[in-house]
Amino acid sequence: MKEQIQQIKENAIKEIKLAEDLKTLEDVRVKYSGKKGELTLLLRGMGSLSKEERPVIGAMVNEVRDELESLIVEKEKELKRAEIEKKLLTENIDVTMKSNRQKIGSLHPIMQIIDEVEEIFLGMGYQIADGPEVEKAIYNFDKLNTPKDHPARDVQDTFYITDDIVLRSQTSPVQARVMENSKPPIKIICPGKVYRSDAVDPTHSPVFHQIEGLVVDKNISMADLKGTLEMFAKKCLGKNTKIRFRPHHFPFTEPSAEADVSCFVCGGKGCRVCKNEGWIELLGCGVVHPNVLENCGIDSKIYSGFAFGFGVERIAMAKFGIDDMRLLYENDVRFLKQF
Amino acid sequence: MKTSIEWLKEYADINVSNKELADILTLTGSKVETVEEKGEDIKNVVVGKILSIEKHPNADKLVVTKVDVKTEILQIVTGANNIKVGDIVPIAKDGSELPGGVKIKKGALRGVDSCGMMCSVGELNLDLENYPGQIEHGIMILGEKYADRLGEDIRDVLNLRECIIDFEITSNRPDCFSVEGLGRETAVSLRTEFKAPHKHLENMNIENVDNIDGLTVKIEEPELCYRYIARVVKNVKIGESPEWLKRRLIACDIRPINNIVDITNYVMLELGQPMHAFDINSIEGKSIVVRRANENEKITTLDGVDRVLDNNMLVIADKNKPVAVAGVMGGENSEIEDTTTTVVFESAVFNGPSVRITAKKLGLRTSASSLYEKCLASEHAEKAINRAVELVELLNIGEPVNSKIDVYPTKQELPVIDLDVDRINVLLGTNISSKEMIDILERLEMKVEDNKVYPPYFRQDIQLLNDVAEEVIRFYGYDKLESSLVSSGDTIGERNKLQKIEKLYRTVLSYTGLSEISTYGFINKKDLENTNISYEDIEKEIIKIKNPLSEEYTIMRTSTVPSMMKVLSINNFKKNENVQLFDISRRYRDVKQDIEKGEVPLEENILTIGLYGENYDFYYLKGIVENLLEVVGLTMYDIVKESNNKIYHPGRCANLKVGNDVFVTLGEIHPVVLENFDMQKRALVAEINLDKVQKYAKQNKKYTPIPKFPAVERDLALVVDENVEVGQIEKIIKKKAKKVLETVELFDIFRSAEKLGENKKSVAYALKFRIAERTLTDDDINPVMKEILEELEKCVGAKIRE
Repeated sequence: MKEQIQQIKENAIKEIKLAEDLKTLEDVRVKYSGKKGELTLLLRGMGSLSKEERPVIGAMVNEVRDELESLIVEKEKELKRAEIEKKLLTENIDVTMKSNRQKIGSLHPIMQIIDEVEEIFLGMGYQIADGPEVEKAIYNFDKLNTPKDHPARDVQDTFYITDDIVLRSQTSPVQARVMENSKPPIKIICPGKVYRSDAVDPTHSPVFHQIEGLVVDKNISMADLKGTLEMFAKKCLGKNTKIRFRPHHFPFTEPSAEADVSCFVCGGKGCRVCKNEGWIELLGCGVVHPNVLENCGIDSKIYSGFAFGFGVERIAMAKFGIDDMRLLYENDVRFLKQF
Repeated sequence: MKTSIEWLKEYADINVSNKELADILTLTGSKVETVEEKGEDIKNVVVGKILSIEKHPNADKLVVTKVDVKTEILQIVTGANNIKVGDIVPIAKDGSELPGGVKIKKGALRGVDSCGMMCSVGELNLDLENYPGQIEHGIMILGEKYADRLGEDIRDVLNLRECIIDFEITSNRPDCFSVEGLGRETAVSLRTEFKAPHKHLENMNIENVDNIDGLTVKIEEPELCYRYIARVVKNVKIGESPEWLKRRLIACDIRPINNIVDITNYVMLELGQPMHAFDINSIEGKSIVVRRANENEKITTLDGVDRVLDNNMLVIADKNKPVAVAGVMGGENSEIEDTTTTVVFESAVFNGPSVRITAKKLGLRTSASSLYEKCLASEHAEKAINRAVELVELLNIGEPVNSKIDVYPTKQELPVIDLDVDRINVLLGTNISSKEMIDILERLEMKVEDNKVYPPYFRQDIQLLNDVAEEVIRFYGYDKLESSLVSSGDTIGERNKLQKIEKLYRTVLSYTGLSEISTYGFINKKDLENTNISYEDIEKEIIKIKNPLSEEYTIMRTSTVPSMMKVLSINNFKKNENVQLFDISRRYRDVKQDIEKGEVPLEENILTIGLYGENYDFYYLKGIVENLLEVVGLTMYDIVKESNNKIYHPGRCANLKVGNDVFVTLGEIHPVVLENFDMQKRALVAEINLDKVQKYAKQNKKYTPIPKFPAVERDLALVVDENVEVGQIEKIIKKKAKKVLETVELFDIFRSAEKLGENKKSVAYALKFRIAERTLTDDDINPVMKEILEELEKCVGAKIRE
């Protein structure tokens, strides 16, 4: 009997080893450990054995069966792994082939600049203010210290709907509206479309975008303005950007300045974009004119403020190297998708 | 404003390079546009005298000359035929350079050596107009007076070496539209003394009289003419001005005419006060009247153009007729001529805006009018006229009468400003001492006494403390201003709800594959009509531009679709395929007739989507829109077919509504509209009203527990009439199933005249039922299904498909 068991064991081990696929292995299992398997039959046939032999043989058969089972499990793992390896070989793909992605679109270069500027000023605690494009002349001009006979109000420069209603020629009327409707501290930027009577050409468009900023509080100074614009220029145009103020004149600020930034194309060495000057005119700015504060109901003896404003197209064109403003409004997708 | 450095030096010692000077002045507010160093491009060109001219042995059109350039005799071959022996001419020697980078080298012409070139006016880049008697195609003949200057550099001989600076002066500083004003700025900027060579002209004791030899002056419009001074010069000898004077005019781009006219122009450049000179004989009745022009009154201006005037224009007139358009240009009828013997100088100050409007109406913006429009100082007029008379004496060209007629109805007001040093430091963010401020102000000729600032008469821009602060910072230096930052403690930087939605939509749409465009807010009537929008039907709402730039942009758009169609059309024209665009912008409708009440009209923020290409259809667009609404939590809306919107295909257009409020319209563009925009492909457009989306969007998201019990699924196949919309069926299912229904999904539509009958379709739905508390049983579902079926049969005649 013992020899018989030993023989079965040896045969089984041999067959397990020789099994080349899962099916053969399963057959081996059935042949030895299945319901009618050799070992099972042996156990059943133990009735003929003596009382003493029975447990000994029983234990032996069980031991062999357990051993075979673990060998089978192991062999099974091995075969499965081999099968996967084989399958992998048949599933090779060309990874350099074209993807089938849904192509992403694009954001308009002007909007990208506006968005970038908005993020910078949101981070400094500014709110984004908005107002009508079809605006009252009183907000577009009068309250901003631009009286009736000022050249900016000429029909050659501003689009009129009626004598009292214009297409805003700047986003500053938004500032006037905010000042009228809220109390200091005021910290806003106003991005938006503005309209001026300029014929379309490579550097002009009757519609363009402006971003203006306004801060009104106690003790707001020109130095605050300079610091704010320095921070803005470094974040928007690169951390090595330098800024310089030149005295200038605007009706709604006094003192007024134009701010130049070191050329962000050549770094100030001189190039075509900065006309070899090393500086690019960035924006107009200044301390809010006391008349403007008073016109909007703010006491200019207690409060002061600063304001700045610039055209977005010019910055977008310089930053992206666009040489013709008309491209921005033609909206050819081959142009748009480059941004 | 142009001036030469040489002229500026009369007012201030300049001890820095031209480039440095330009930089310094730019940073104190007189922005330098260009620095032109004249003569720098001419090298090694000297004065020579022609000694002999002989025929060229090998060429008929050339001659061989010998030229004396003092140090040597040069042989030069030339093709010029306006030269003769003895002429003094400019000679470009071997190795010389001419404007435009031309280099002259020794060489041979047709076998004869030539050691240089004789130059024409053009070759030296000089303006023929400034050298009367010279010809365009020929050598410049210098004349006998240069005979003793042979061999000398032509730049020194003709005074070609000059540095001219062109300044961009801001409109608030008319005083800087003068060499004197710029000289003052230069002196203060360089911290050197301002020489003030004309100070003595300010308070000359000249008798003021009512008439000079019968000449009288009357101002009828004191609102438009603040001051009028006349002085008379007798026994005038009209002639050419001296070289130095002509040169300075030319440097500033003014053409010399004759000594009297040149003096008026010279004074204008020097002092910034326009001057005029009349021949006294052309003033009928010897009476000068400053009055409004009569309606349709005519004058021929000095440029020979006949002009028709109107009642808003101011003229200088005599007894019978206008002799000048005030502040703009003189009349031909009173022009200084060679025969003029008695001259009347005018130095007047007019209302700035009035001159500007007149000049604009006449299309005649002159140096004088552009100065006047900046509002000149009345006090300055006297100094200018005295300077003109002084120049007459200096040039010795006439005998001035030592009296003046000075009509000055409204004296210029001079403000007094409290010097609040602390407030200035607050406004600037500086800590500048009172002493330093006063020093700057005094150098600018402002008197400071008892803490009060008295700006000089020529600084009308200084009215308030802020103006004084600007003067302080200009010369203290912006570069020395130490930057500071506003504390951000008091305000919160945050987008509002609409701005957040717009930002989100830009991101979602660009990641969906759409490109953002940017469009103008105005269009024209044709654009509307091309989009099947009747102009007449909505005329009341249309906002019209009174002064449009062109026919292209005459009205504000009442719909964003025409703009989108134009862009789609252009892309189609350029053969771009599968184009997907979006635009977040506005439409403008005067729905409540606000404009006539002086109020602003309705502006709506619209997201417009436009697509064309084989991959896109109504349902693709609808999917994009649904996603946009889902991301802002807007789920409770109806989708309703829209057949009356003429922009769209009547069978392929829908409105999305909350209650009765339409907030989205989407669909396929009407074939007629497509044709109007020259589109051969179908296009799809959606208009999404963002103001309304914002109103209906849910901001607060709340968690619902994930179901623990399984769902019960039932399929439902129905036969309905073709015209029954699946949306209707779904609505009924949802209504009747109430809370137990989790989802209902259409999974099949089947049509067959044979099996279902004409105009019938079969629609199959998968319904999923579930409640949170327990697993539903047939006993729960069966009555619900029954109710649904009954309602469907009742409302849309649906039958279970057998």
